[in-house]
Amino acid sequence: MSGEKARRLKGGALVIPALLLVILFLLAPIALIFRFSLDIYDPGKLMLGVFSPDNYVKAFSDPFYRGVLLDTARIAAVSTAVCLVLGYPVAYFISRTRSERLRGTLIVFTVLPLLMGNAVRSAAWMVVMGSKGLINAFLLVTGLAAEPVKILYTPTAVVVGLVSVLLPFAIITLQSVMDSIPQSLEEAGRSLGYSPLRTLFAVVVPLSAPGIIAAAAICFCLAMNAYATPVLIGGPSVHMMGPLVYQQIAKVTNWPFGSTLACVMMLVTLVLTIVSTTYLHRRYF
Amino acid sequence: MSGVTLKRLNKTFGELPAVDGVSIDIREGELIALLGPSGCGKTTTLRMVAGFVEPSSGSVHFGERDVTRVPVHHRNVGMVFQGYALFPHLSVAKNIEFGLKVRRWDRTRVQKRVDEMLEWVQLGRFSERRPRDLSGGQQQRVAVARAMAIHPDVLLLDEPFSALDAKLRLQMRSEIRELQREAGITSVFVTHDQEEAMAIADRIGVMNHGKLEQLGSAQDLYLRPASRFVAGFIGKCNVLEGRIAGTRQFETKSGQQLQYSNEHAAGSGALCFRPEHGELVRAARADANNISVTLKAVTYLGADTEYELVADNGERLLVMAASSSVAGAAFKAGERLVLSWRSQDSFVVD
Amino acid sequence: MSAARTIYLLLVVAILAFLVAPLVVIVWASFFSDKILSFPPGGYTLDWYARAWQQPDFVAGFLMSIKIALCAMAGSLLLGVPASLAIERFRFPGRESVRQLLLAPMYVPAIVAGAAVYLYYIQFEISTEVQLAATFPGLLLAHTLVALPWTMRLICASLATTTGIAEEAAQSLGANALQTFFYVTLPIIRPGLIAAALFSFIASFSELEESLFLVGPGKTTLPIAIVNYLEWNLDSTIAAVATVQILIIGTALLVSDRYVNLGKAF
Repeated sequence: MSGEKARRLKGGALVIPALLLVILFLLAPIALIFRFSLDIYDPGKLMLGVFSPDNYVKAFSDPFYRGVLLDTARIAAVSTAVCLVLGYPVAYFISRTRSERLRGTLIVFTVLPLLMGNAVRSAAWMVVMGSKGLINAFLLVTGLAAEPVKILYTPTAVVVGLVSVLLPFAIITLQSVMDSIPQSLEEAGRSLGYSPLRTLFAVVVPLSAPGIIAAAAICFCLAMNAYATPVLIGGPSVHMMGPLVYQQIAKVTNWPFGSTLACVMMLVTLVLTIVSTTYLHRRYF
Repeated sequence: MSGVTLKRLNKTFGELPAVDGVSIDIREGELIALLGPSGCGKTTTLRMVAGFVEPSSGSVHFGERDVTRVPVHHRNVGMVFQGYALFPHLSVAKNIEFGLKVRRWDRTRVQKRVDEMLEWVQLGRFSERRPRDLSGGQQQRVAVARAMAIHPDVLLLDEPFSALDAKLRLQMRSEIRELQREAGITSVFVTHDQEEAMAIADRIGVMNHGKLEQLGSAQDLYLRPASRFVAGFIGKCNVLEGRIAGTRQFETKSGQQLQYSNEHAAGSGALCFRPEHGELVRAARADANNISVTLKAVTYLGADTEYELVADNGERLLVMAASSSVAGAAFKAGERLVLSWRSQDSFVVD
Repeated sequence: MSAARTIYLLLVVAILAFLVAPLVVIVWASFFSDKILSFPPGGYTLDWYARAWQQPDFVAGFLMSIKIALCAMAGSLLLGVPASLAIERFRFPGRESVRQLLLAPMYVPAIVAGAAVYLYYIQFEISTEVQLAATFPGLLLAHTLVALPWTMRLICASLATTTGIAEEAAQSLGANALQTFFYVTLPIIRPGLIAAALFSFIASFSELEESLFLVGPGKTTLPIAIVNYLEWNLDSTIAAVATVQILIIGTALLVSDRYVNLGKAF
């Protein structure tokens, strides 16, 4: 083996500790739950040790569980749509800001709330949306409502909470794609007679389509996989997959079924991630 | 179609005046070049004509119409951008028809116009191609076709040839000039390449530090430059410092008395003449300006021969002569000679 | 400025305010003097911070989170820096696949990873008699994995800004591999390193869903302590605790902003 090749392999060996960690403590566990998802629960022995698709069938045919899947999909879809609509103007603004300092500040501003963590953010929304929260206080004081409105513990509240998590991702994804669209294209559109708003729809939106698809995929995944937001803000009446997985595995100890739900979440996430990455690479620039 | 008038255009960004009191009267069908080094304000001026930049003061008129406060998309300008700005997600034909769709032309009329434009720039075969499949020259033609399809009042070009290689540049230069003449459309283009400006523009506006130093034909600029900057920017120039010493009399720093031909107010200035107007001789000529020089170097450039000279007071001078006419002269470096030139060929600038 | 542009600017400001508002509100609420959290506040006090500090759950959670975050930060750097080096500087076969694999923890939903790792730990204990669930090491392994992709992205990006030519020059002058690393590579990646350390810390400190499965009695993290409290109570105490978390993460972020252009890190 030549010296160059030996050197490359020796250097490559530096990856091994990290790789080992990922394989042993992420990939192997995932393979494990895939195995469990095909098993059947037994209250006595925990698992029977068989191979059966029963859990998957149950997840999609049992009315309650199917309902949870559909509710999750619905809430995730609505949250994604809201994020795209709200995120697009902000992303465009950041992308077209000429001052480097302002751009940097806006990006930090966008990302900062994200890094606080879901626990803190959910706590914050509870304070804002609760029956004694900020919104209700405002409504009562201004006379817009006679008594506290139920905002917390509704699907709408969950959407609001999720949007506040997802929006930064949407903004950053969209903004980075918009950065690659030269402003001269917008100027060309305007010189040809398109008003600034029409230019946006005729030029920027089509060219940012890969970014829109990627942002949608990311937002949907994050919403679908959420835990703290549905639990704390949704309360007992809103059922989503994340809390259900926790309940099945940690509380009910129905590991096979919990694993099935986890695998479904994993699969959808995987597919959407592949879709979004492929689209992000198929840009015009 | 109409002429374009710029009246005392000013644009200040923060503290700095990017464009300072520019006034130009462009005749209908004329092709004007805005020429100058980077940062001189030529692009900002063009963008004010287009409507992308609002002037701090002054006005822009298309014929009788004051368009100063009119937004870009209502101005009816045809603009060719540096880098062409073709829409990558649209075919050539769709790029060209882009401006027509928003004018709500019916389908047949649009199709007819697009075909006309494709024919005009000779890209009929490429109508369904995407911009990335075209060469630089072809992309530029699409950009021109797209801009012209909308029947604009004025055609604006921002450094249109800078993205092309040297050979293509020459070719596209004359092609665009032809297209512009054929259409008879008033046009303004921005460039930092003086050769380009002189080759195709009817008139050239030389700009420096935001100000319009001089507006005139290539000849005007070359033979009668209005300022030291213009004299030095267009072609090469010999400069002798000194002051006015009487009517058409100039006294150099070293006391030599010279004659010049243009009008100039009293005071200090520089006497200039072009290298090809100077002649190297062994004895001073009557009825001409003469100064003693030492020959530093001779460079044979093929068609021309260049002589580098130093005057007695240290000023460096240049004489350019057709090689065929100096074949027998055989001047050698170090020789003391006389540089002679006519007063008609000298002019004084600030 | 036209009316349309004003509306646009207001819209952008409103959306950004929406993102930041909840955090501002909860920090504000941490100072309310009323026993029951309500608006408008009757007065202001710092008492809740003291009260929070007296609650053993919060203190334990806080200390645990700090400990785990610091260790996860160290682990993520110890594993991630060599790995990044390998990927960016040595063109070994399978390089790109390895890179994607090491970024994988970012793409696996936290709940799924938590459930999977928990069940894995239990099987591990059954096979090897070594307990990992509800232990510090078990939690640490998971948090290191959460932090690893951040290190990978930031250090790889840092290394990608140069071509490795400086390292080659050092080697031609006689430096061995270790010396090259310490005297040449390390200074190049220093800003990325600091950012990676801080982001690893932040990622671990704010982690919730995965930790849910892996904590145990006496070993809980601050985010989980917050969630547990919130399930039956909403008052200024929790607002105070949340504010502490915001402060810690906010500081880490602002410090890292000085070393890495955060605008480019995402």
